Amino acid sequence: MIRALVLTHGSLGSELVKVVEMILGPVEGLDHGSNLGKSAADLGLEVKEWLAAGEEPAIILVDDYAGSCATCTQLALVDNPGHEDTAVICGVNLAMLLGFVTWRESSDYEELVRRIIQKGREAITQVGGS
Amino acid sequence: MTVVLARVDDRLIHGQVTVGWSQQLHPDRIVLANNEVAADPWQSRVYAASVPPDIQVSVLSVAEAVAQLARDEAHQQRIILLTASPGEMAELVRLGAALAEVNIGGLHFSVGRKEMLPFVYVNKQDLAAMRRLLDQGIELFAQQVPGGKSFHLELDQLVDMERRL
Repeated sequence: MIRALVLTHGSLGSELVKVVEMILGPVEGLDHGSNLGKSAADLGLEVKEWLAAGEEPAIILVDDYAGSCATCTQLALVDNPGHEDTAVICGVNLAMLLGFVTWRESSDYEELVRRIIQKGREAITQVGGS
Repeated sequence: MTVVLARVDDRLIHGQVTVGWSQQLHPDRIVLANNEVAADPWQSRVYAASVPPDIQVSVLSVAEAVAQLARDEAHQQRIILLTASPGEMAELVRLGAALAEVNIGGLHFSVGRKEMLPFVYVNKQDLAAMRRLLDQGIELFAQQVPGGKSFHLELDQLVDMERRL
């Protein structure tokens, strides 16, 4: 089963995962991490340790494209045999995580990554106002 | 050359710099001065890609950054200068970078470092470098983001912190 790490500023990631479980019930293999109080080196180490902790294919979802979570994750994948092709998806939102849990057993890796990104984009829409 | 912000931040280019300070200071260029990053094309690319397209970026060794700052003097660019440690900032100054003040923006905990402020953890080398900056008449202020609390760092605080290490 494909696993995922939601790596964000502050407690955004832990709260997102909490809300996913409020909606879908307890979920395995959906972890969260934060950059709070961590140096770039420690944050990168945390990503490497998370990657090493499981055998299954992994996806890492971060909040901000240009932030330390995205930067440190990209650097943690270089020269990291077996993990160099791990997908890093920026702009994580609730719809993406719900999609991840829903589709991860029925989609192959590349298809899952594509669907998560598509779902995240579709979720940004205006429903009120003119 | 106008260095609108000389900042020590071990995360180098990240949101506090590219969004927080850049929206406040409108830099033309971010100069990242770090020997390790500059020597690694992949790290250089990742950091450079984090900068919004309307801001130029240079990822350079400390010595190259000093030369770049001298060149930019002619171009009248507004520059945010970044290093990961006070030691590198002091080295920039030793090699000729003219700075009036240095922002200590983020030094996170690592083994051997102790807390001076909630976002500033230091070791003896960091403090010695900060003292070298003060010795050059450079003001030190610790502040994470624009509008956030700013702490003016004085020599007696550094001496006091040295005793606690």
